Amino acid sequence: MKALVHSVRFQVYSIIDNLMARNRDALKGLGKAFVGGYISLAEGEKDPRNLLVAFAIARVILIEFDISDHVESMFNITYCYFPITFRPPPNDPYGITTEDLQKALRGCLTACPSFGPLAVPIWLEKLAAGSPNTKRDALQTMVLCLPVYGSALARASARKLWNSLKLEIFQPTDPLTEEEALKTTQALVETIYAQEEDAIESDDHVQGLARDVCEECIHILREPEKNQARPAIKVLCAFLATTPAVLRFTLSQAVPHLVKLFLNPDEASNRAPILLLLADLTNASRESMPKAVADDTPIPMLPYKDEVLGAVSVGLKASPSRIPALSLLRGLVTTPNLLTDQELGFIVHSVDEVFQTDASENDDFSDSAVLEVLTIVGKTAPHHLEQQTLPMLFSSLPDQAPPRDAANERIECWRTLLALKTLCVHPELFENLVTRVTAKVDSICFPETTRDSIEDAEPDAAYAHALLKTIADTLSAKVDAGHVDVAKYIDGLVPGLYNLFIFSALQPVQVIATDHRLVRAAAEIIALVSQRVPAQRQASFVAAIFEALSSGELQGVAAGAQKLPADAKLLLLDVKCHFYMGCGVRSFVLQESASTSQKNLLALFSAGVMTAHKEILPSPPALDGFLNQLLIWSLTRADHYLQSESAWHLISSLVNKHADVATIFLEDKLNNFWPQYIASSEVSSTQRRQALQAWVWISKALVVRKDPHLTRFTDRLFEVFGDNEISWDAAKALGEIAGVDQILIKRHHVVLKILHAQKFVNGILPRIISGAQDSSRPAHEQTAYLVALTSLIKAIPKAAYAHEMPSLMPLLLRGLDLPDFEIRADVIDTLLAAAEGDASEQGLVSEHASTLVNIMLKNSMADDMPSVRVRTTALQYLGILPKIVRYDVLHPSKSTVIRELAIVLDDPKRSVRKEAVDTRTVW
Amino acid sequence: MAGAIFNPNPTVFTAKPTVRKSDLAKQSLWINEKAKVEDNEDGPDPIDQDEIFDLIRSIDDPEHPNTLEELRVVSAPQIQVKGNHVLVEFTPTIPHCGMSTLIGLSIRVRLLRSLPDRYKVDILLQPGSHQSEHAVNKQLNDKERVAAALENPALLESVENCLVGAGRRGHSE
Repeated sequence: MKALVHSVRFQVYSIIDNLMARNRDALKGLGKAFVGGYISLAEGEKDPRNLLVAFAIARVILIEFDISDHVESMFNITYCYFPITFRPPPNDPYGITTEDLQKALRGCLTACPSFGPLAVPIWLEKLAAGSPNTKRDALQTMVLCLPVYGSALARASARKLWNSLKLEIFQPTDPLTEEEALKTTQALVETIYAQEEDAIESDDHVQGLARDVCEECIHILREPEKNQARPAIKVLCAFLATTPAVLRFTLSQAVPHLVKLFLNPDEASNRAPILLLLADLTNASRESMPKAVADDTPIPMLPYKDEVLGAVSVGLKASPSRIPALSLLRGLVTTPNLLTDQELGFIVHSVDEVFQTDASENDDFSDSAVLEVLTIVGKTAPHHLEQQTLPMLFSSLPDQAPPRDAANERIECWRTLLALKTLCVHPELFENLVTRVTAKVDSICFPETTRDSIEDAEPDAAYAHALLKTIADTLSAKVDAGHVDVAKYIDGLVPGLYNLFIFSALQPVQVIATDHRLVRAAAEIIALVSQRVPAQRQASFVAAIFEALSSGELQGVAAGAQKLPADAKLLLLDVKCHFYMGCGVRSFVLQESASTSQKNLLALFSAGVMTAHKEILPSPPALDGFLNQLLIWSLTRADHYLQSESAWHLISSLVNKHADVATIFLEDKLNNFWPQYIASSEVSSTQRRQALQAWVWISKALVVRKDPHLTRFTDRLFEVFGDNEISWDAAKALGEIAGVDQILIKRHHVVLKILHAQKFVNGILPRIISGAQDSSRPAHEQTAYLVALTSLIKAIPKAAYAHEMPSLMPLLLRGLDLPDFEIRADVIDTLLAAAEGDASEQGLVSEHASTLVNIMLKNSMADDMPSVRVRTTALQYLGILPKIVRYDVLHPSKSTVIRELAIVLDDPKRSVRKEAVDTRTVW
Repeated sequence: MAGAIFNPNPTVFTAKPTVRKSDLAKQSLWINEKAKVEDNEDGPDPIDQDEIFDLIRSIDDPEHPNTLEELRVVSAPQIQVKGNHVLVEFTPTIPHCGMSTLIGLSIRVRLLRSLPDRYKVDILLQPGSHQSEHAVNKQLNDKERVAAALENPALLESVENCLVGAGRRGHSE
């Protein structure tokens, strides 16, 4: 056989394989002669293609044939290949991988229990001398073979195997091998003890390996602070996942030992590591429980929970052991059925104490751990938080804001608010939060005793803002989690907010709640609540808002603590026009005198309307007047960005939902609004920019629904690229149209078509590229195209422009010379995103490598480039270049880069220095 | 390097993130406005001991899979910055540790690559922490000997091995 070439040998194997498949009984009839013959045939085979077949044949022989006389020879023709060291040559046409061979060989090795005694010495040898790959292969094979070879063998060779496994665990070559060694130990223990499981009644019956190893590990654990304690606890944790008896035994040895050590006064300094070890054990014992826990599932930690809890409560009291104690606690509370309700109450109590005492020594970062434990408890037993934690937190919130220079008190407030925000996502707790916090906001905005000096109202306003933000952030988390109780706050919370802010705006003097930041936070809350409200309820809500907008009638929207005068009227829009709402005709009344703070209220109304379902909104032909007036109002009357922005949001949302019937409105914008407010050079440039922003929002409404009107809207923007005054703004507007925003989103019930951004980009990108390349155009027009390009690809997902990359690259490089720093930083960000792409894009980078290096270096010098953001991103890009470009391309630049970066290391900004250090290290 | 392990079972401490004290004072009155600290008005940030500690805390120990910070070989209070002069002291885990020079050399190379060249860096053993303190100090602060050591490819490789994780700056990845 050895004299034949491998292709002939392959045919021989194929013949035998065929015979095996079709005439197996006949082969069996040949008896030992066949087995003996095959062994001599297969001996010394080296070709991987043939081996794959040979292993398959061998497996059948091992399982089905009588090999009692040939065990050793069969062993020799299989184990001689173990472990597989074959590495396929590059571009191997046969496609045989190491894994294929390993799998086939393991099939043979696990086929026959009588290989056991012969295999153990080989394993030991491979473990002692092999490379990491060989070791891992050997360990994985052991995991598979041990159960097959049986418990008797495992027991007999346990000591020897453990001795070499121990080396891998306690002095690991690498983490992967260590993990495999732990798994093998598990398999070994399982094989030994699985059968006698029923015989083991008490811990004394666990004899042999498990007992020895446990004792060994516990001996090491006498010094819990030392390096070796880690692997020791890993071994014990691995034991927990084997058989129930071993689990019980291990815990009964380890937990009391550690607890005793913890209570030993001489070891007081080592309490932190002891708690961490206990936490590992607790987590591992939780993992050992089945996924679905029934009431009668045994809980391994149950017998020890009292002593462990004792250790926790001691550990929580001292600051060095606080975080370890909390992580142990997390392990306990995440174990299902372990703790009783009363114990949870006790835990909440002691954790609360930690949170309170923390104030002065807030540098140990236990807050997040505290909150994590409380959140977990809150999921099962919110009443403990409600009774203990929330009262504590609320009482630590002051009634008046800390003064401007009291930074520590302010941080303390924020910390409390952060805790509330994290914990109160649960419906019951959230209700509590809303009541308490709104009451607090009310009392801050309208304190019962007017303070003597009101000149510094800003801290109060900031405090109220922080409170409102807390509600908004919690709501946002609840909306993300899909909680249904959000909708019910349309009654109570929302009217209360309207009430508070409208009342404030009607005051003759400046009060706290007129601050635009507060209004914004309140608008956020209103939008979050109203988007979850069912359409029916929304209908009456929106109707009330329109009522307020049209007639100034406020009783429909606002209800709350502050008494609005019965005849209070508030007219924002100084407009006279009609629109149909349901059946009645409403008219806007002329109103000239709204103050800034009153006009700010539009944000609140807009927030309520833009989240409404399409069906309940009045539709455009009737609404045209309203929209037109609102638009003009946003340009001429609005005196704060908040006002015009909310007007545009409202317009955009309405146009989006009714674009199919809004033709008249849209045509009017294209034919009248554009020439009058944007294209006309007689209008002041600030106003033209404002109008462009409004244009952006109308276009956005059309983009997301892939409306056919859109192209005419974007065409108009291209028309003004030649305009000296607003060409840059028009160019940037193109990017803003494509950008993602928080208004036109699915949750706000907008008409949204998939891949709308791609369609938009495909429509205008070629035009922009050719415009930027066209050198017949005036220079500033080309620049405008370049600006449009950079702002556009900054705003869209990478997939939308990836195919254009080759033609984009030179343009982007030109973009880096633009004087606008924001644009430069955006370009570099785009390049960074492109750098993560596939090989073809990286090849593209290689072509421009030396140019890129020079530009980036120039942009990273503090002397030439005042913008921190550009410097940082330029350095990041420099740092990524060596990872995507071949070294030989970059070699010529290397010394320059390292020299130049030495200067950047002295940058005045810390964040830039950090990037410079990292980049220089990469080079 | 193989074979001789000087301290087979050193004490491991947990690493803590550091807070820069100056950051606390800069807080705005309004919540959530912290994001805008990156503006150019608030002057240069000088290089301080925390920053230098950040540079060297995550250097790996040559013997163990732990960082210098975890073994308390280096710590922020052991670093002093005065003008253009940096003094770094480090404490080997045991007084007869033969790895001290390698650790010191790793710190030196890291700082050589990461600090502007206007700084003069002195790297010393914590007084009384090592048997041959004087010899090691002399070796680490002699320009010629450091340069010569870095010419040795084997030594440079072991230094590079220690510096692989140095960019983590105390965060685990």
